[in-house]
Order: sequence, then structure tokens, then C-alpha cells
Amino acid sequence: MRKVTRARLGRREFLMGSAAGAAMLSLKGTAGLAQTVQPPINSIPKGATFRWVDSGDQKAVFFKKFFADYAADRGIEVIYDPLPWNEIAKVVPLGVRNGTAHDVFVTPRNVSLADAVAQGWVQPYDEFIPNIEEWKANFPAGAFLPGINEFEGKTYGLPFTSNKRYGTHLLYNKQYVADAGFDPEAKPLTQSEFREAARKITEAGQGRYFGFILGGSQLNRWAQSVRNLARMAGASAGGDSVLDADIDLRTGEYVFDSDAYIAAIELLIAMRDDGSFFPGLMNLNAPQARAYMPQGAAGMILQGPWNIPSWEGQNPDFDFGVSSGPVPDSGPVGKLTISQGGAAPNTISLFSGSENGAIAGDIFHYLGTLEGQTAWANIVGAGDPPIMPEAVAQADMSPRSKQILELFNDQIRVGPNPIVRNGDLAKVIGTFVAPDVNFARTVQGLVAGELTDVPGEMKKLSDNYNASLDAAFAAATAEGAKVDRADLVFTNWNPDVDFAASDY
Amino acid sequence: MQLSQTLYRYRYQYLMLVPGLILAGMFVFYPIFAAVYYAMHDWSGFNADMVFVGLGNFATLFSDPIFWDAFGRSLLFLVGTVPAQLVLSLILAVILNNQLLKLSTTFRTMIFLPVVTPVAVIGIIWTFLLSPFNGPINGLLLNIGLITRPIDFLGSSDTVMPSVIGVYVWKWLGITLIYWLAALQTVPSDVYDAAKLDNCKGGRLIWHVILPIILPFAVAILLISSVAALNVFPLIMSMTNGGPFFGSEVMEIFIYRTAFATEDGSIPRLGYAAAAGVFFGVIMLALTILQSLATRRARRSTQEAGHE
Repeated sequence: MRKVTRARLGRREFLMGSAAGAAMLSLKGTAGLAQTVQPPINSIPKGATFRWVDSGDQKAVFFKKFFADYAADRGIEVIYDPLPWNEIAKVVPLGVRNGTAHDVFVTPRNVSLADAVAQGWVQPYDEFIPNIEEWKANFPAGAFLPGINEFEGKTYGLPFTSNKRYGTHLLYNKQYVADAGFDPEAKPLTQSEFREAARKITEAGQGRYFGFILGGSQLNRWAQSVRNLARMAGASAGGDSVLDADIDLRTGEYVFDSDAYIAAIELLIAMRDDGSFFPGLMNLNAPQARAYMPQGAAGMILQGPWNIPSWEGQNPDFDFGVSSGPVPDSGPVGKLTISQGGAAPNTISLFSGSENGAIAGDIFHYLGTLEGQTAWANIVGAGDPPIMPEAVAQADMSPRSKQILELFNDQIRVGPNPIVRNGDLAKVIGTFVAPDVNFARTVQGLVAGELTDVPGEMKKLSDNYNASLDAAFAAATAEGAKVDRADLVFTNWNPDVDFAASDY
Repeated sequence: MQLSQTLYRYRYQYLMLVPGLILAGMFVFYPIFAAVYYAMHDWSGFNADMVFVGLGNFATLFSDPIFWDAFGRSLLFLVGTVPAQLVLSLILAVILNNQLLKLSTTFRTMIFLPVVTPVAVIGIIWTFLLSPFNGPINGLLLNIGLITRPIDFLGSSDTVMPSVIGVYVWKWLGITLIYWLAALQTVPSDVYDAAKLDNCKGGRLIWHVILPIILPFAVAILLISSVAALNVFPLIMSMTNGGPFFGSEVMEIFIYRTAFATEDGSIPRLGYAAAAGVFFGVIMLALTILQSLATRRARRSTQEAGHE
């Protein structure tokens, strides 16, 4: 898995890099050639070895090229390890415990940055970026927040990508969907139209292709699909962390047994009964399911924007469209809520035992400049959009990428973040143990037909989550945290507008 | 005094044991003690908050229906694989033991090939073979008209366990075959000659003459196979990941999921998983002790038979 970036460039990286570079040259007045290494802001020790781990994917395309150039320019060695999340969950904690962690890492998905700070995993990087306040001011409001990436006045996390995205919008085979008589680009499909389109595509496919595909063995796909279908149908819930996922922050209550959630699950069950599911969908993981789309084996998938640059790069002949996830048949389309701060899974931090703070600061600084952000956007595109909107505006992205980012701007609003109001809530996250039969599994069980009573199961789920959350609050209180379930209630929140810092 | 004298007299021999002991200590004994230690703590595995709970994890474990379901599935797996494996491979062994059979070495090799193929490779190949979308097995069944719709072998809880059991038996048939062949080699050729004189052939020969001779081996083979059938983590992981909806979640997958693979931002429960692991380990240990006792007994009875 380990990749030393001094190795020669792969053909694809070279092509992508030069394509991006050429494209940038043609844009006058922009940041210039992509990924030109900027002069150092710190004195960099020659010959140092610097290690970085994150979850890779499209990010790796940027970092592999960037680190190769950077290492050559600064005379250091950079070891970049793009790893899947389940590996990160083992590699990072073990590394921290043994004092051999990467200099820069993302925290595993079940460890919040607050937790990592409390456990002494990470160190602040303020001293490694001169005039850090000036630099931070370039970021959009709400990028740096106490309790999220700032603790006791120090900066611990770098929020360089935006979380204004969702992973269950529609990506579809244009030909199949047009043949079924729909045009989701002109008007988003309603839930009924979505079902109808899937049925017609399957019918036309006669066993060669099917209406709908999803990575059904990857449980989070079920949770996210249902959550977002329901949120668009009016269930105002968050979806970012333990303290807001599936909770209506106006009441502080779980919405698992709301009509919108139940209807979303019943929609999937109806599609299964129509025979519109890709056969064997229950046993596919997300990458497998995604790979069947360009092969023409399925007509529609609810997935994320990261497919766009990947399909455009690897399957240039695949004619696909992007659109909103299915909207309700009637009534207003609900907004999707995200938390403040950058995209949590991409927020990187500096290992407490690292002696390469100067290098990390140099790189962090670059990623937080318009040049760095634009270079990032040029390569990573809509998959992991940069946090600065100006970078998106001037980046060279495909029309589909721009289209989906515009859709995200239209559909996504920033919601309240309970931790910003009460930092002690981080302790609740640190002790929360989800029920064994969690939301994702319940949906999988219901759609697979292992469970049958949708409203009954969802009620049970609500009760179980309430019990788990109460237990986490009790445990946190026992540890001295001043927390209360009322901390999850924001009576002044309107899901249709951004929740600003002044609203707390 | 006696002990220290012995130690001193054989000091070089004991010295030779040290490297092995150190390695075993690091990779066998330490993990065992660590697991027991963790099992008595409420611990997520990554932070410093380790709370001693004594036998609390075991109490929770024994009242956890998901754990017992997984335990039940492990037993089901055992019962589903071992008899089929034993009987099938015995039949094959009797056939292939016939020296006059042409190509018997070729057949033995072919049956043994899956045994030496890595489990993960087997798992992935079989998911393709069993796939309801363009999978050859469904294609065959559709072509001969046995089914009208493809069967989602690994995607439905009705078919997932039988499918995984089938693949397991296929994969490990060769190893049991080798055990049986070894057992059959112990049958003296004059027994066959005597049977021939008495006109005892086929099923009667096997049932009345050969089986009683190799029966002691059967006990050992049964227990070896049973222990093996409880170690199915890589096969199930590569084929189904324990799904759909716990459909193939055996004990090992339960332990893994609880210890590392939690979802929904939930913290893992390494202590709890360690408790399940310790419990599972005790069962394995019991089976292993049974096996060594049975093997010893089998050896003794064959020796006695030799003296008669």
C-alpha cells in the first residue's frame, strides 16, 4: 500500500496533471500552472521524511502529483499512504499509541477531533503558519470553529474541503432514462417517477440491464439513501455526526419513525418488488455497484459527486447525466442539512509526536490559499470540492461537475451544530454506542425482506437510539461533562436557511 | 534441587528452546492473556478510557441475542459442513484408494487443488460464479429450465448459509480426502485378500470390513474438521461480509464487527469483542483437547489391534 511519491509518475497522473496544467494556462488571469510549488513559508529541514495518510480516492490523484513536485522542490521525502477507512481505523490509533503515527493524518471515522485532542493524539499547528489569523481569514465564515477544529484557542484541524455535498444524488445512463421517457436534468424525478423509470428501464433491459443499482452490502449506502430521500421529503434531520444524524434539531428527537423515513423505505421495497433492483445488489459493495454503471448494466444509481471525475476520466464514452436525488411527489422539497466546519472526513491534523511541523505548516498553508484551493479543484473536481467558493468559480471543471455543485448550493443548508454551543457534547460522541441493529442494518434488513414491519421496526429503532443516546449522555455526565438532551434543541432553527454564528 | 540439576544438565537444549519460546510468547501467549485482560474491561480499543468491569462483558454477552444468533450460525456451519465433508471424501477416498483405477493421482490432485488455493481468491471467484447477474451457475440452471428467475444465492438469508457451506465443503474436501487415504493405507492388504476369498465386495466390504478398521481415525478426522469449520472468517468475509442482515454472521464475524467494524460513528467495543473471543477460544480449546484425547485413544486401539 505504501507509495513513495518519488516514484515515477503514472501515465494517468501525468495525463491528468498536464491536462489540468494546459487547461489552466488557457485561462487568463487565474492562478497559473496547476500545482506549481510555492516558495516555503518555513525553513524546511533537507532530507527529512514526511508521512501523510488519508482516505485517498480522488484526493490521491492530487496528492500523489503534488507531493512528488513538493518533495523534489524541498529536497525531502514524502510518503503518502492513501488507505481505506477500515485500515485508517487501525493504522492511526496503533501509530499514535506506538509513537509511529504519520506526521499528518485524518482521524478514524469514529474518533472526533475533539476526542483526538482530549487523548493527546494531535498538536496545534498555529506556530507553524506565520500570521495564522490572517491566513484563516481567507477561509469562508464558519470554516474554523471552536469545538470542531479549534480547541482552547489553538488550531488543530485543517478544513480545506467543503462538506456542501451529498452522496445520494442521481447519476443515470442518459440513453436508458430517455428511452423510459424521463429527463431528470430538466426536472428532478419525483419518488414515483423514480420508481416508474426504474421499472421501465428494467423492462427495456430484458435481463441485460436493470433500473436501479446500489452497493447493498455496504450498510451506510442504505442509511444515506433513506436519510436523504426522507430529508428531501421534509424530515428535517442532520446527517453528519452522532449528535445530529436523524435527529430533528428543532425538537431534539429522532425522526426514524417519521412518515418521510417510512415512505422512503417503502419506496425501496416497492422497487424491489417491481423487480427493478440489479440482481445480487445485496451482495455488492459501493465500488462494485458504481463500476456496473459505465458498463451499461444498470440505469440509475444514487451516489456521490466523486463518480463524475472518475467516470469522465476512465469512461469518456459513457453518456451519463447528474441530477437531484428523488424529490417528494407533492409539497415543497426539503433542504439537506450539514454541520458547520469543513468536510469532517477530510479534516487533517498534525500528530502530537511529529517533529515535522514546519513541513506540515508549509503544506497546510498552501492548501489554504486560493492557488492551492484552485489547484485542488482542478484535479479533485466536484468529488471533494474545495472549501473556498472562489476556487470553485475559477477552477477548470467539467460541466457536470459545475452543475452538481450548483445543485448542492441550491439544496444544502448549514444547520446548527450542538458542539459549537456546548463543547462538552464531544464527550457524548466519545461514549455513544449505536444499537447493534442500527439504522443502516435495519434498512438493509427491511429491504432484503428479513424484517417486515416497516413502521414497527422504525419505532423500535427510535426507541433503541434514544436509549443509546441517553446512556451516552449519562456516561458523559458521570465523567463530569455538563450536558443535557436539551443541548440538542434549537427552537430558532429554520432548515431552509443557513444557521449563522449569530443564531446560537 | 532436582529441577535445577535437570535444567543445568540440559542447559544447551533448553537454550535452544528460548527463541521459539520468545516468539510463541509474543504471538501466542501474550495475545491470549491480553484478550482475557481486555475482556474484563469496557474499552473501545483506541483511547485511554479503560474501565474494569470484571465479568460484566460476559454477562452482557450471554444475554445478547445477536451473539447467540452468531453462535448458532457457527454451529449450523459446523453441522452443515463436517458430515457432508466426511462422507463425501470417504466415498472418494475409497474409490481413489484403488491402485488399479486409472488416473487416480490426477483425480486426487484435482480434488486437492482448491485446498492450496488462497481462501480469499476462492471466495471472490465463487461470488462471481454464484452471481445472479450473468453468473454461470444461474445461467446453467436457467438454461436447463430448473429455475425461471436467477437465484440470489448470497443475497438472501434462505440461501446464503447453504451456499457458503457448499463452497466450504468443496474447498476443503481434498484435505479430508488425504486424511481418509492415510487411514485407508493402514488397512493391511491381506484383509482385502481375505474379503475377496469370502466374496465380500462393494458396500459390504466397506461397511463390514474397512470401516471398523479405520473407525478410530474417523474420530480424529471428525474433530480436526470440526475445529477447522469454526475458522471460516476469510471465506465468509470475502463472500458475504456476514450479510445480508446478519444472514451469514458467524462468531468470528461477530467478534470482528464488534471490535473494529462499527458503523454510524459508533465507537468500537474491543473489550466486549475480547469477551466473545475468549468464550469462542474456550470452545475451540475444548474441541482441541477432545481431539488430542481421541487421537491418543485411536492410536492405542490400533496398536492393540496390531497386537491381536
